Amino acid sequence: MAGDVVPEGKLLVVDQLHKSFGALEVIKGVSFDMDCRERLVLMGPSGSGKSTLVRCINWIEPPSAGSITFDGRVVETGKSDIRRLREEIGMVFQQFNVFPHLTALQNVALGPVVVKKTPRKEAEIEAMELLAKVGLSHRADHKPAQMSGGEQQRVAIARALAMHPKLMLFDEPTSSIDVELIHEVLDVMVKLADEGMTMIVVTHEMGFAKEVADRVVFMDQGLIIETGTPSEVFEHPQCERTQSFLSKVHLA
Amino acid sequence: MFKWSIILDNLPFLLSGAWTTFSLTVVSMFFATVAGLLVGLLNMFGGKIVGAITRLYIEAVRGTPALLLILIVYYALPIIGVNLPQFPAAAVSLAVCYAAYIAEVFRSAVESIPKGQSEAALSLGMSQTQALRYVILPQTFRRVLPPLANEFAALIKDTSLVAFISMQDLLFNAKIIGARTYNIMSPYIGAAIIYLIMTTPVMQWSRSLEKKVD
Repeated sequence: MAGDVVPEGKLLVVDQLHKSFGALEVIKGVSFDMDCRERLVLMGPSGSGKSTLVRCINWIEPPSAGSITFDGRVVETGKSDIRRLREEIGMVFQQFNVFPHLTALQNVALGPVVVKKTPRKEAEIEAMELLAKVGLSHRADHKPAQMSGGEQQRVAIARALAMHPKLMLFDEPTSSIDVELIHEVLDVMVKLADEGMTMIVVTHEMGFAKEVADRVVFMDQGLIIETGTPSEVFEHPQCERTQSFLSKVHLA
Repeated sequence: MFKWSIILDNLPFLLSGAWTTFSLTVVSMFFATVAGLLVGLLNMFGGKIVGAITRLYIEAVRGTPALLLILIVYYALPIIGVNLPQFPAAAVSLAVCYAAYIAEVFRSAVESIPKGQSEAALSLGMSQTQALRYVILPQTFRRVLPPLANEFAALIKDTSLVAFISMQDLLFNAKIIGARTYNIMSPYIGAAIIYLIMTTPVMQWSRSLEKKVD
């Protein structure tokens, strides 16, 4: 299940990461590291590069420069290395990206069946357990089109968990969900955190950050400008940029 | 003067031509679809060189008349020692021609799938091929059927070009009846009706599929 045993030491080390799209440099040298079981919340105004940063970590966006060390291995650009990296890192997207041609159960079972060659029956039994965990047992045979945004996102979380990731990336997981359904998704994420899952979460949900995060990292214009515990960053922000952003989020 | 009797008296002859038209359509369409899928995938995922070659093929075919291709395969290829009988020559030409159109159908269908789908597949650790096989193509399938049905209907009509290499299809047989009976109008109208009987259901099917996809 979630939170497989990982050897001591840093799970993730990001060193001087840069990412450019053509002439536009979106990430301008970001370094940070994470221990196992650590929960990191990434905040910042839109365009600050926080989404791009998490997308670089599992190579969905290949970094332009810098290095990523995951679980003691420096990630090389070879295909097999990147696929192994992605197997071990789960990702949850803002737009859910559940597979519309498959039922909830098939969505969750597909990764293990295709990538890990798990026998289908076995994969589906575990998929059922994961759907139960995210509160969707009764939706197992439904297709995404018949589900709410909150339900689709929980299927997406179960789908990522099915690969037994060592790290979960959440890229604005609640930004596309109706306000009254956001808590369904946040509850699942809190549960994961309580179980010891290592997580990086891009979100503006201050309540979630305060409850769950060990560390809040604040980004602006492609750089980390502030980092600290939630109370440090939220109550005594050092940078002017952080202060003005937080005041707007508070008002919202 | 239009006379039903001329159509009815020559119906077996018209129908044997229609059978040629139909079987040629089915055989050409089958190979065009298989080749079109392959060319479309190679064009999208085959890398730079293969992509450029397939693009060249697609544009060359789309920019020249199908008739020219038929004439080249049947009359010009024998000069370099490639002798194909009528039916295979016609089927090869039409398949080569329609594969280019169908490649574009597949390409636009694959490109219409949101990028997040392949990102989600890749983020699970799938290879590009696995993402295509298990996530992208199954979603493409339904979107591809209506335009494929349209191509099928267009191909039924384009098979009439094989009359130029004297193949006895529906159009050619209608022309023969006209010459025999000195009544040109009737067999051509008869042929038109038979073409419509073949194309209308296909186009209706395409339209109903389109509604389902929406």
